[in-house]
Amino acid sequence: MYAAKSVSGGIGLGLIGFYLGLGFIALLRWTLGYPEPWGGEINIIGGYIFGLIGWLMGVGMWGIWGREWFGQRTYPRKAPGWQRYFTFNTDHKVIGVQYTVTFIIVFLLAGALAMMMRLELANSGMQFLSHAQYNGTMSLHGTLMIAVAVAAVIGGIGNYAIPLLIGAEDMAFPRLNALTFWLVPPVAVALLSTPFLGGMETGWTAYPPLSVTTNSAQIMFDLGIITFGLTSILGGLNFLVTIMFMRAPGLSWGRLPIFVWAIFATSWIALLYTQGFAVALLLIALDRVAGMAFFNSTAGGDPLLYQHVFWFYSHPAVYIMVLPGFGMALEIIAHFSRKPLFAYRYAVGAFLGILGLSGVVWAHHMFTAGIPNYLHGPFLVATELISVPTGLVFLSALGTIWMGKLWLKTPMLFALAVIFNFGCGGVTGIFLADVPTDIHLQDTYFVVAHFHYTIVGGEIFGLFAGIYYYFPKITGRMYNETLGKLQFWWMFIAFNVTFFTMHLPGVQGMNRRIADYQSGLDTVNLIVSLSGLFLGASFILFVYNMINSWIRGPLAGDNPWQVRTLEWQVSSPPPLENFPTPPVVQGHPYDYGVPGSVHGVFPGQKLGGVPVVGGGGGQ
Amino acid sequence: MHIKHLIPAAVLWVIITAVGELLVIANLYPTVGSLEADDFDWIFRFLLAIGVPVFAFVIAAIVYSMYAFRSAKGDEMGSTIRGNGWFPRIWLIVTGGLAAFVMVFPGLTGLQKLQSDRTAYGWGDTEADVVIHATGAQFNWTFTFADGTEVNIIKGKELVLPVHQKVRFNIDSVDVVHSLWIPAFRMKIDAIPGRTTYMTVEPTVKGSYAEDQSFRVQCAELCGLDHSVMNFPIRVVEKPEFDQWLASLKTGAK
Repeated sequence: MYAAKSVSGGIGLGLIGFYLGLGFIALLRWTLGYPEPWGGEINIIGGYIFGLIGWLMGVGMWGIWGREWFGQRTYPRKAPGWQRYFTFNTDHKVIGVQYTVTFIIVFLLAGALAMMMRLELANSGMQFLSHAQYNGTMSLHGTLMIAVAVAAVIGGIGNYAIPLLIGAEDMAFPRLNALTFWLVPPVAVALLSTPFLGGMETGWTAYPPLSVTTNSAQIMFDLGIITFGLTSILGGLNFLVTIMFMRAPGLSWGRLPIFVWAIFATSWIALLYTQGFAVALLLIALDRVAGMAFFNSTAGGDPLLYQHVFWFYSHPAVYIMVLPGFGMALEIIAHFSRKPLFAYRYAVGAFLGILGLSGVVWAHHMFTAGIPNYLHGPFLVATELISVPTGLVFLSALGTIWMGKLWLKTPMLFALAVIFNFGCGGVTGIFLADVPTDIHLQDTYFVVAHFHYTIVGGEIFGLFAGIYYYFPKITGRMYNETLGKLQFWWMFIAFNVTFFTMHLPGVQGMNRRIADYQSGLDTVNLIVSLSGLFLGASFILFVYNMINSWIRGPLAGDNPWQVRTLEWQVSSPPPLENFPTPPVVQGHPYDYGVPGSVHGVFPGQKLGGVPVVGGGGGQ
Repeated sequence: MHIKHLIPAAVLWVIITAVGELLVIANLYPTVGSLEADDFDWIFRFLLAIGVPVFAFVIAAIVYSMYAFRSAKGDEMGSTIRGNGWFPRIWLIVTGGLAAFVMVFPGLTGLQKLQSDRTAYGWGDTEADVVIHATGAQFNWTFTFADGTEVNIIKGKELVLPVHQKVRFNIDSVDVVHSLWIPAFRMKIDAIPGRTTYMTVEPTVKGSYAEDQSFRVQCAELCGLDHSVMNFPIRVVEKPEFDQWLASLKTGAK
């Protein structure tokens, strides 16, 4: 059992490493004469770092990579079948599935936490949670969902699809890719340990001084998120190199599928800004364990400094979340409209424009934070400027469906919902970019509704579109279309009722992150809670459909969607290293209905009855 | 061939817009308790009036296309328009123009009013009639008047403000970041340890927390365990009554 060996090796070495780390720090402290060698957060940090290394080595990194550092021969584990998914596997398709399944599980878990929150908030007064439990639940829901939003589409669908879409054998750095994934389970362990340390009480934003003075759950949050940031940076780097240097001959930038462009822009944002979050949390950790007093105003520190560093990453992060959703939606909309992607160059321009602007708008999260008055104007202008490139995404999507032949399969419905939902999220964004309205709406449920519309509506719907779209390619089997459509309409309606209604309590004076609220808001909260629970139930259908179809769905064939891009020209699932013969690209991916147009050809092989032409331009 | 589709799609857009604009008329807001609240409601409604047709455009385009351009099987091809011509440029001009318009009005103009000097709007350098120093602490507020009178959860139990007077709050915090928010006044500013922030409001109607829950100071920045109940009642009264109340607290202290 390779899988059991790999996982138990990881857990075993991880635990040994953890205790070694704890002990090592304790030994150091004892040697240096500290009064308390055990029990400090510094011990936890040591344990975490040693445990992380032990986990990685145990799970298979040692055999496939680590031995090389000491001049020894590496031995890749060739696990068969489903066991691949539990090993340190370098195949991008395996990693894509690992990411997707992991984050779907995290998504369901964090969703269950949301159900607990909505049960508590169904009525004013405390129902079944204490204030501390509510704050912990809310913080964990937020943090886990941020992780899902940052990594699910780019890590899951991106890893699976990008090398296939560009005609590459694998990612540029396959072992780094495997490392990127296997850093994720320790993050989950760190975050899920927080309830046992008293529960987080700062939310995912972790503003000091609260995050410096709060319980030790904070240090696990810091360590987990810094690790998670590392995966984001390494993943971004890997995607950039892959997209820049591993495209098939003839796949020029102007012929790149739009999803690849979206991942390209996203990867730049991840690479450029993620360290901001890591730095912010490192400063918090140092404040906690070393008393550096970065944010202690009585010792000359400044709490506002954190907010600047934090939002310097965390605003661009929302584009890390939503750009892959846009890319997925545009990709699917073009294929299922049987029509060239409308205004392709403008859509590419939109992604690059958002990439450019993402770094100069962060202080709109701080309009009421007491920043100098002269900063409000520039950040208001920059923020509203982003609506222009975002508008181009709408231009491309709506232009593509206009006069198309819309094949309304489940992926297409989800992709259209991305555009619909983001229409609402984009409009409410204006209210929050505008300082005079933001003063009242800041930190209320209006904001909560807004970011659920943009992130869930814009990205998670895109994630589901991508999962349904690639399900036949990944598994070789077709999901149940009726159940898929049923889940779509169920989720779409429940989502919109829940979050559209949620704007109202925000305007009327319900601030966010509260365990209890004013009794005047009872009715509207009950509606939100009921439809929120209804929304949660829709995912049961999804899980059933996926598991059932994976096991006994009908065979899907190589190209069930009759799509032109490269990944659909190989078998389902694709063989190891993807293409039996390397593809050559001769035309645009979306030229549906254009007479005589070809996208990819496979020299030396016959495909789908089309006579194959050799040659084709180089990059 | 576009015209055949453009007209029904446009009609759909108009209908959805008309329904959506009902939101502009609807009273979705808590009590208008101050000049600033009046401004907020007005700007909010204005943005709604502009935003509704934008969202309605997206809905109409999607709904109409799903109906008129649907295809039961995947083997039919759509039109081959690529959008390289004039249409994207017009789109860019219209969306850019709309963004610029909203930026200037009500964005920058509203901001200017908020920050203008010697008025009761928000963050300007106000000559206030009443200056109150508000201090946030986990999980209580303390308000200190210019004459040194303190109001807190034990003493006074409510914050009384005079109607039609410019009230300035100077705000700081002794422990973590809090935020002072009064829903009836639509104003909010964070309380940051180590620095003093401020905001000004001019209450325009009388009211009290007992009758209207939007008359309260609410902490709006997650500050720990009891964040959700860190609020403080407000009562807005006529100036003489306010003076009387302030004086009564003074004698009570001695």
